[in-house]
Amino acid sequence: MTPNAAIEANNLTKKYGGSLVLDGVAFALPPGSKTALTGANGAGKSTLLHVLATLVSPTSGTATIAGYSITEALPALRGTIGMLTHSPMVYEELSPLENLRFFARLYGVPNPDARIEALLRAVGLWQRRDELTGLLSRGTHQRLAIARALVHTPSVLLLDEPETGLDSDGIAVLDALMLRAPHLTVLAATHLLARIDAWADSRLHLARGRVAAEASPVMVR
Amino acid sequence: MDAIGAVLAKDLRLLWRQRTGWLSAFTFAAISVLTYAFAFDLVTDDVRPLLPGVLWVTFLFAGTIACSRSFSDEVEQGTFDALLLAPVPRTAIYFGKVLANCIALFSVEVAVMLLATILFNTPLLTVELALIAGVGTVGYVSLTTLLATLGARVQSREVLLPVLALPLLVPLLIAGVRATGAALDLPQGDAPWLMLLAVFTVWSALGGALLFPLAVER
Repeated sequence: MTPNAAIEANNLTKKYGGSLVLDGVAFALPPGSKTALTGANGAGKSTLLHVLATLVSPTSGTATIAGYSITEALPALRGTIGMLTHSPMVYEELSPLENLRFFARLYGVPNPDARIEALLRAVGLWQRRDELTGLLSRGTHQRLAIARALVHTPSVLLLDEPETGLDSDGIAVLDALMLRAPHLTVLAATHLLARIDAWADSRLHLARGRVAAEASPVMVR
Repeated sequence: MDAIGAVLAKDLRLLWRQRTGWLSAFTFAAISVLTYAFAFDLVTDDVRPLLPGVLWVTFLFAGTIACSRSFSDEVEQGTFDALLLAPVPRTAIYFGKVLANCIALFSVEVAVMLLATILFNTPLLTVELALIAGVGTVGYVSLTTLLATLGARVQSREVLLPVLALPLLVPLLIAGVRATGAALDLPQGDAPWLMLLAVFTVWSALGGALLFPLAVER
């Protein structure tokens, strides 16, 4: 085990039927690091993020997030994770305000109204907080998803193509609140290689389910 | 408990806003009861022996129509993963959804009993019958909510739910029909049907709570 690693994976393997999607993935990311997870389609990026987020069980191997094992202490672990994917994971029949109130209640956020107002203002949705989410544009959904992923003040962000649907202003919001936010540990799968230098301090490259290349300060074992 | 309340409140709000699922269920139920009323009117003067079957078949299919959407909407919108990411016991998510479905289905059942009271000229909206329907609804919804979870990621889920649920619901149906018959003063033997219905309901709710975390594993 690597001392003080915010995210650590040890020999993570995931099989779907006979297909080996993750094949002995091992790495450790220090707290506050911003790591770009790259690789071709089908390389295992999304599966790795889903395994780390406890949405998919690993076939073998272990991982820890903020010191919590992904197979134990699950509620405590989930409270430290914020996840954003290309699917916004918000309710279209609820307004942005109602969506965030629901998730804040589910996460037991103290003083939720102040937190929600701050987030909706930060993502530029405060003026539209009472409109039905289903009536908003795709990019607006993703802005709301950014707020949803941050509502419980997580310390680790797992992002799967977070730029999906965002315009340049939206990407600026994403950068400010997530990718360049100090103190947050970020592991973000992306195909936008030209943008990596703008936010990432390290890169983890997957090929056919294995770690193929890395750059400091990612510690691959 | 707050997680159950959060899921319950959210689901009731969504059910109210979407409405199509429960309106479809109620429309189906109303048409069924209306059809039975016209059919029985030509055959017999005393419809009471037929009413338990009419009510429970109507409840069963109306509930199947409505409950099939319980998790499939969440999966389609990606919000199911958002629920599973929350730091709450997964049984809390299950119970929140079961309670929301129970409230919605029981509302449909009360409306059906009111309609049947008018059409069959027999008092069906009584405390005893409401209790029987309520207990049966909790058992029925507990099971179908669990099965809807299993089928939520399957393309042919609308077909899958009744195929999985109906055989498992036979004991509940028998107990529900017999308990309803007894409440209508029809001869049903000495078996404690309401007790059997309650036992099935408890078994169904406990089984659902225990199996739900496994059912959502990937």
